[in-house]
Amino acid sequence: MAIRTEELLLNVGPQHPSTHGVFRVVVHIDGEVITSSDPVMGYLHRGTEKLAENLTYTQIIPYTDRMDYVSAMTNNYVLCHAVETLMGLEIPERAEYLRVIVMELQRIASHLLWWGTYLLDIGAMSPFLFAFRDREMILDFFNELCGARLTYNYMRIGGVKWDAPEGWIEKIRNYVPYLRQQLIEYDALVNGNEIFLARLKGVGKYSAEDAINYGLSGACLRSTGVKWDLRKDRPYSIYNRFEFDVPVETEGDCYARYLIRFAEISESLKILEQAVEQFPAEGETMGKVPRVLRVPEGEVYVGIESPRGEIGCHIISKGKDKPYRLKFRRPSFVNLQILPKLLEGETMTNLVTILGSIDIVVGEVDA
Amino acid sequence: MADYVLSAFTWQNGLLFFIWTVITLFAVLGFVTYAIYFERKVIGWMQLRIGPNRVGPLGLLQTVADIAKLLMKEDIIPKAAVRDLFIIAPALTFVPSFVVIATIPFSESITFADLNIGILYYLALSSISTIGIIIGSWASNNKYSLLGGMRSAAQMISYEIPLVLSVVGVILMSSSLNLRVIVEGQLGGVWHWNIFPQIIGFVIFIIAAVSELNRTPFDLPEAESELVAGYHVEYTGFRFAFFMLAEYVYVFAFSAMATVLFLGGWDAPAPFLSFIPGLIWFLLKFSFFVFFLFWIRATLPRIRVDQLMSLAWKVLLPLSLLNILLTVFAIEIHKWIA
Amino acid sequence: MKGILKGMGVTFKAMTDKKVTYAYPDVPINMPDRFRGIQHFDPEKCIVCNQCARICPTDCIQLTGKANPDPTKKGKVIDTYDINFELCILCDLCTEVCPTEAIVMTNNFELASYSRDELFKNLDWLNENNQLIRQENNSAMPKKGGEK
Ligand code: SF4
Ligand code: SF4
Repeated sequence: MAIRTEELLLNVGPQHPSTHGVFRVVVHIDGEVITSSDPVMGYLHRGTEKLAENLTYTQIIPYTDRMDYVSAMTNNYVLCHAVETLMGLEIPERAEYLRVIVMELQRIASHLLWWGTYLLDIGAMSPFLFAFRDREMILDFFNELCGARLTYNYMRIGGVKWDAPEGWIEKIRNYVPYLRQQLIEYDALVNGNEIFLARLKGVGKYSAEDAINYGLSGACLRSTGVKWDLRKDRPYSIYNRFEFDVPVETEGDCYARYLIRFAEISESLKILEQAVEQFPAEGETMGKVPRVLRVPEGEVYVGIESPRGEIGCHIISKGKDKPYRLKFRRPSFVNLQILPKLLEGETMTNLVTILGSIDIVVGEVDA
Repeated sequence: MADYVLSAFTWQNGLLFFIWTVITLFAVLGFVTYAIYFERKVIGWMQLRIGPNRVGPLGLLQTVADIAKLLMKEDIIPKAAVRDLFIIAPALTFVPSFVVIATIPFSESITFADLNIGILYYLALSSISTIGIIIGSWASNNKYSLLGGMRSAAQMISYEIPLVLSVVGVILMSSSLNLRVIVEGQLGGVWHWNIFPQIIGFVIFIIAAVSELNRTPFDLPEAESELVAGYHVEYTGFRFAFFMLAEYVYVFAFSAMATVLFLGGWDAPAPFLSFIPGLIWFLLKFSFFVFFLFWIRATLPRIRVDQLMSLAWKVLLPLSLLNILLTVFAIEIHKWIA
Repeated sequence: MKGILKGMGVTFKAMTDKKVTYAYPDVPINMPDRFRGIQHFDPEKCIVCNQCARICPTDCIQLTGKANPDPTKKGKVIDTYDINFELCILCDLCTEVCPTEAIVMTNNFELASYSRDELFKNLDWLNENNQLIRQENNSAMPKKGGEK
C-alpha cells in the first residue's frame, strides 16, 4: 500500500532571512522538492514612477537612490543621463571622470555586498564580514565625497554636485591595490572550498536562449555565454576610454554567475586605476544648465550597465519641468522573472542558492 | 568513585549521588556558559570583530545575561501545537545529553560511572535526543520546524552508523567497551594514542560527530538561511534554552569523547610531562576540539541535504568498514608476528 | 579538502588581524565635513524666499513669514519654520538652493527618539542645533535664487 503523501504549501517570506528584504515566494513542496512556486512582490512598492510625474527632474534624483539602494550611483546616473540626452547637454570632462569613478566604486561595493550575503545564504558567516570591511571603505569614500553613505544624491543634471575633496583621488588610487590584495584572500577563503563548489555547480541552470527570452541582463545573461555589457556594446559616458574585459562564462549555473561577479570586481578595479590616472587636474564639475530645467518635448530611452544588469530610464517629456511619464527598466525585476522556471524540481536548499545568485534588491524589484 | 556506585543504596549514598550530580550539572552549565562566550569571541575575532564586550568585564557575563533573558521571557505555546509533546520535547532532548557525561573518564580519579559498556551506553543514549528534536518539531505544528525535524531525523540516522563503526576500530584495539580501559591502553605518550593507527577512524568520527551535533557545515536542521531556525522556530524562553543547552552539552560530550577515544584522555603527550596533572591535559585536548568546532563554524558554508546523505552512505560508511577490516588485519598480523 | 584547509587558514589568520569594530557610542563617530546631518537654521539670514520648501522632494518643510517688524526695511522675516524628520531624507536639496545659507547641514545624525512627535522640529530647535555645522556649503551647484 502506498503511503498517502501531501504537498506542503510553504510561504517563504515576506519576512525570511534569505529573501533579502520583503519578498515572498509561495512554494509547493513535496518532501524537500519544489513542485511549483509563485513569487509575490510589491511589499516595498512606493510608486516611484508615479511620484516622479509630480516632481521636478532634480527632485527625482533622491528617489532613484532608493530604488536599488545598494547601487544608488548608477541609478542617479541613468536618470541624469536620460535627461541630459534629451536636452543635449554637454558634461564637463572632470564631472564625467568623477561619475565613472563613483559608478565603478559603486559596482565594487554592490558586488562585495552580494558576495558577502550570498555566502551567508549558503551558510558561511565570515565572508560577509570580510566583504563588509572593504565595502565600508568605499562607503566612507562616498561619505567624504557627498556626505551620505547609502543614498548619495550625488549626480545632478549636467554634472555632479561636489568636486572631489582634497586627497580623495589619492585615496582611491591606494584603495585599488589594497582591494586586489584582499581579493586574493577572498579567493583563498571561498573559491576553492569543496562544499561551496558542490553547492553551486550545476544549480539553477538555464540556456542563453532562455536568458534572452526572459530579457535577463547583467551577470545573469553573461553567465550563459552571451557577451553583452552596455559599457562596451553601447558605450555611454566615457567608458570607451578605458580598457577592461567583460567576464563571460558558458555554464549558465549559479557558479558561473558567481565567477562573473567575482571577476567583475577586478575589472572595475582596472577601470578605476585608469580613471584615476587620467583624472583631469582641474575643470568644472557642472555643465551649463539653465536655471529652471525645462526638458524639450520628446521621448528618450537610455540603458546603462548597473551591477545587476541593464537599468534603463524612459522619459516622455511634454516640455515641462516635470516628466509626463517616467519609466525605469529595473534589472532586478526583470531578472527575477525566471525564478519560477528555475525553481521547479529543485530542493528547498537550492531555492536560497538560486534566488541569491540572481542578485535582486527588493527596493528595485518593487520600485 | 566507582566504589560508591557499587555500594548499597543508602540515604547517605543517595545524598552523595545527588550532590555529585548537582556539582556536575553546575560544572557543565559553567562550561556551556563559557563555551558560548568563547565561541562568540573566537568567531568574532575570525570575523574581524571583537565579540561580546559589554556585559561585565570583557563581556564575561554576556551569556549569563542572555540566559537570564531567556528565563524571564514569556513562555509561549502556540495554540495549534500539540501541548504535551511540545512541553516534553526539550526535556527529552536535554536529559540524554547530560546523562551520557557520566561515563566519561576525565582523569585517573574522576569518573562518575565506570561502565564496562561505556561506549555503547554513550552512543545509544545520545541518539535519544533526536527523538526529542523530532517530537518538538512535529508538535510545534510549523512547516519550517517540521522540515527541520525531518532533516534532523534523516541526518541522525545516517550519521549514527559511520559514527558507531568508526569507533569499532578503537574498540578492537583495546578489546574493551570500557572508556577507562580504552584510555589506559593509550597511556605512555603521543605515539601510543589511537589517533595514529586509527587515523581513518578519527577523521570519520570527527565528521560524523560534527554532523550529530548539528553544527556547521552540517547544521541543516536549523539552517537559518533556509528554514529560519529549523526545529525550534516556535520555542521561546526556557524551552528554547533547553534546546540550546542540549546542543552545547553535546559539544562538551563529543569533545570529551574524541579526547578519550583518540587522544589518550588524560595522558601527557610525553612521559616527562606527566608532572602536570591529567585533568589539565584532558582539558587542553578537549579545548582543542571545542576550538576546532568553532573554527569550522566560522569558515565553512553549509552542505546540501542530498550531498549530506551521499557523503554518509557513499563515503563514510564504506570507509569505516574498510577501517575495521584494516584494523582486524593489522591486529592479526601483529599477533602472528609476536 | 585543499580548498577547505586554505579557507580555514584564512580565518585562522584573521584572528589576529586588526578589528574593525567601532567603539560607538562610547567614542563618537566623526563624520567628514560634507556629511549631511540634521539641518541648522539661522532665522537672521532667512529671506523667506520659500525655495527650500519648494525644492524639497518630500514636502517636509513648512514655513511662514511675517512682515518685517522694522518698518524701515522691506521684505519679510521668518515666523515659523518646521522640518518633519519623519519625512526628511536628508537629501541636501534645501541647503543647496538656499540663497543665503540660512539652512545648512550639520554633522549631527542622532535622531532616534521614543515618539514620532519628537521628530517634528521647529525653528527654535533647528536654530539651537548649531554644533558641527558644515563648513563647505558652496557646492558645485550655482546658487540660483540669490542673484535676483
Ligand atoms: S534635506 Fe531634502 S528632504 Fe530634508 S528638508 Fe531638505 S530638501 Fe527636504
Ligand atoms: S531657501 Fe533659505 S532663505 Fe529661502 S526660505 Fe528657505 S531657508 Fe529661507
